[in-house]
Amino acid sequence: MATVSLRGLTKRFAESAAVDDLNLEIADGELVSLLGPSGCGKTTTLRLVAGFLQPDAGEIRVNGEVISSPSLLIPPERRHMSMIFQSYAVWPHMTVFQNVAYGLKLKKRLGGEIEKKVDRILRLVHLETLAGRYPAELSGGQQQRVALARALVVEPQILLLDEPLSNLDANLREEMRFEIRRLHEEFRITTIYVTHDQAEAMVTSDRIAVMHQGKIVQVGTSDEIFDRPRTRFVAEFIGKTNILKGKLEENRQVDLGAGLSLQVSSAENPSKGAEAFVCIRPHNISLLGTELETREPRQKGYNVFSGNIQRRIYFGDAIDYIVELPAGQLKLRVVAPPSQRYEPGQKVFAVAHPDHCVLVGEE
Amino acid sequence: MSYAEAVGRLRAGTWLRLKAVDRTLPVWIGAALFLIFLMILPLGWIFVTSVKGEQGFTFDGYLQVFKEGALLKAIWQTLIISTWVGVIAVVIGALLGWLVTRSDLPFKRTVRALVMASFVTPPFLGAFAWTLLAGPNAGELNKLYRWLTGAEGHLFNIFSREGLIIVMALYSFPYVFSMIANVCELMSSDLEDAANILGARKWRVALTVTLPLAAPALIGGFILAFLHSLSLFGAPAILGLPAGLHTITTQIWALFQYPPRLDLAAALSVPLLLATMALLAVQKKLLGRRGYSTVGGKGGQKRLVRLGALRIPLFLLVVGILALSVFLPYWILLKASLAKAWAMPLTWDNFTLHNFTFTFFEYGDTQNAIINTFQLGILTATVGTGIAALIAYITNRRLFRGARYLTFFALAPLVVPGVVLAVGLFIAYTRPPIVLYGTIWILFVAYLTKEMPIGFSQAETTFKSIHPELEDASRILGANRLRVLKDITAPLARSGLIATWCFIFIGVIRELSASILLFTPKSKVISVVIFDLKEEGQVGVIAVLGILLLVVSFAVVLSVQWMLAREVVATRE
Repeated sequence: MATVSLRGLTKRFAESAAVDDLNLEIADGELVSLLGPSGCGKTTTLRLVAGFLQPDAGEIRVNGEVISSPSLLIPPERRHMSMIFQSYAVWPHMTVFQNVAYGLKLKKRLGGEIEKKVDRILRLVHLETLAGRYPAELSGGQQQRVALARALVVEPQILLLDEPLSNLDANLREEMRFEIRRLHEEFRITTIYVTHDQAEAMVTSDRIAVMHQGKIVQVGTSDEIFDRPRTRFVAEFIGKTNILKGKLEENRQVDLGAGLSLQVSSAENPSKGAEAFVCIRPHNISLLGTELETREPRQKGYNVFSGNIQRRIYFGDAIDYIVELPAGQLKLRVVAPPSQRYEPGQKVFAVAHPDHCVLVGEE
Repeated sequence: MSYAEAVGRLRAGTWLRLKAVDRTLPVWIGAALFLIFLMILPLGWIFVTSVKGEQGFTFDGYLQVFKEGALLKAIWQTLIISTWVGVIAVVIGALLGWLVTRSDLPFKRTVRALVMASFVTPPFLGAFAWTLLAGPNAGELNKLYRWLTGAEGHLFNIFSREGLIIVMALYSFPYVFSMIANVCELMSSDLEDAANILGARKWRVALTVTLPLAAPALIGGFILAFLHSLSLFGAPAILGLPAGLHTITTQIWALFQYPPRLDLAAALSVPLLLATMALLAVQKKLLGRRGYSTVGGKGGQKRLVRLGALRIPLFLLVVGILALSVFLPYWILLKASLAKAWAMPLTWDNFTLHNFTFTFFEYGDTQNAIINTFQLGILTATVGTGIAALIAYITNRRLFRGARYLTFFALAPLVVPGVVLAVGLFIAYTRPPIVLYGTIWILFVAYLTKEMPIGFSQAETTFKSIHPELEDASRILGANRLRVLKDITAPLARSGLIATWCFIFIGVIRELSASILLFTPKSKVISVVIFDLKEEGQVGVIAVLGILLLVVSFAVVLSVQWMLAREVVATRE
């Protein structure tokens, strides 16, 4: 049982804040990923939780007890956590078995118990035949699994993962994502997972916390983050998107200028006349070839814009169009199924449901 | 014990909260303070002594250096000699470095090994061997010359400025060699190919592309060789003094003879110190800038340049150079050690093992010196490796605020020639609070200080190769810092630290320039005894001691190489 809460957490390096007044509550048995571009402070946050760094302000609590604050730092070795590192950090002078058994030895477990537990965990990560090997004799993926086994065998209260898959090749990375999720479902250890890869975060996590410049900008499940991004940064960092700039009018209308207007899903704090950004995912826009076809969507309240195909890129499973809206020098990116063929220069109608037009904040 | 319990207990009492403080901190702080003390004390005393008169602060010492003709002359001689040594070392070192890495010269590995042998040979030993080879009367080569031509007189007198320059260059060029060889190994053939395609011919490519690319290394190598010869004491004392030539180092030594003039010695040391600092700063800037990205880059494939008709003549030239630095000196030392009369041909009548038995079993002076030397070697290497490792660990892992400034202290002796260091140590440790002069411990402190840069950089390289996450992984599983050192860091650093030990050991057993000012009759070491016995003409004993130094040094170097190579193989398997 372990809940983690980060409150007002701040860490400065040479006067610039790497982590800036960060707040996050993690429930027992939950896997939360910290997702963000490099330099956003996610690894610093993780090292603060591990106790390798001391915060300059704020505190970290586990089960309600403070373990890190500017005046108190429980050292990493007494936090009952496990961590998996970007470099795997598998010890080259120990065999696979010795690597995995090390944590149990530190906890002064008996020899027979150690052997049983190590054997069990090695079977779980499919390394049972390699127990006697040295890390230099293993592939990257196998070393990664040694690191996993070593972290899990001690039955930690909290598991920390620092970009654990970034050094693997693409195929293996995909496989290991599911492996990590499978192990999480088996053990249900409270886990913080740091990554810059949105797909990785979506596959593995219960919730995702998107970080930007030392702050968490949005926390939510994968679909919440993807479908309801709160800021422009979240929308652009996760998936492809169109961002349209306009002025907020009444009745969830956004005036895009040049006579174009757009119906959006909802406005949390509608202040009329305010500057607004609208996020529309390219695959949520359909293209129609004739005016006649647009009649039905118009009746249902869809947003319809006419424009010209400016560019077309064929990807095999989809076609990527850039549609130019003549009225407002606006460009829309649209992903269409390969069956929908339009020629560059052709007049088309871009159609999007208001639910898919999401107001986002500037920052 | 659950987590909540653990946390609860920790918060229960203040003494338990103290456990959260890193208990290893005193070790780190202690090592850092020791290092700073070790470095600041002698250097501080030099500056203080150089400006301290009978009535407080004075520049008299410095003024006298510039008024006294002999001292000014020594400075001038030193500059001329070191410049020539630098130039010759660059020519030889660059030629050999390029030939060994980029051409189809035969027996390249052997050439490399022999250059290493010149590197390991103590310059004072080389200088001594050369007095046997090219002394004007009894020198082997001059005798050969007279026998061949029937002429009177001599071909070459080693007791001259030219002789001194050549011998010093022979033992300075390996510095340039290793820099150039490194650069050439990193440089891609593509660059030269590009010039080839544009129509440039082989030699033109070498002159217009290869040479300019290597320019920073050449200048850096020149500075290194220049500084090396600036700090040498043994060779100028052995070859220069009989010809009436004084360099700064021999002059400082002379000022220590009765009646000692410490103020002048200190005042003469300061310019040497400042010059060394300035040149090292220049060198660092040159090499640090890496304006030539290609040299630092991955480098594409390397192809060997065909020497063609020049292959054999160039090879003979290389053999000739190595004959001067290795073959001839080693041969004459071996001959002198096995002969009753070293100047006579080595026939059965002239053959003896008496020099060996005398040196090792009969002569008390040499026996003591041998014991002292190896005791000091082992002691300094052990303590030095320990401190260097602690300091390197602190700076590498940034264990506390300002840790990186320790690098400056650990490397400071680089800018201090041995004689200057000895001046500082002499002044510092002949007065309270710590009186070490007259004991073997002042030599220990001198060696510890002098070898700190080598030990530190070697240890630093070792720790740099150990990813910090390997240690973090151990801590998070429940090991404290000391346990991490024992379980993870020490085993991983082992071979690197053994290499550090060996480098310090070799540096210590061949040290002369600081020892010569700090020894007392009870605390003589091999190098000092060699220097003393030279005055008495005990050639056989000197040769035996020289061979002993060489054999031990080579044994240590080879075992390090063997060990490191095995390490590489082991991790690959």
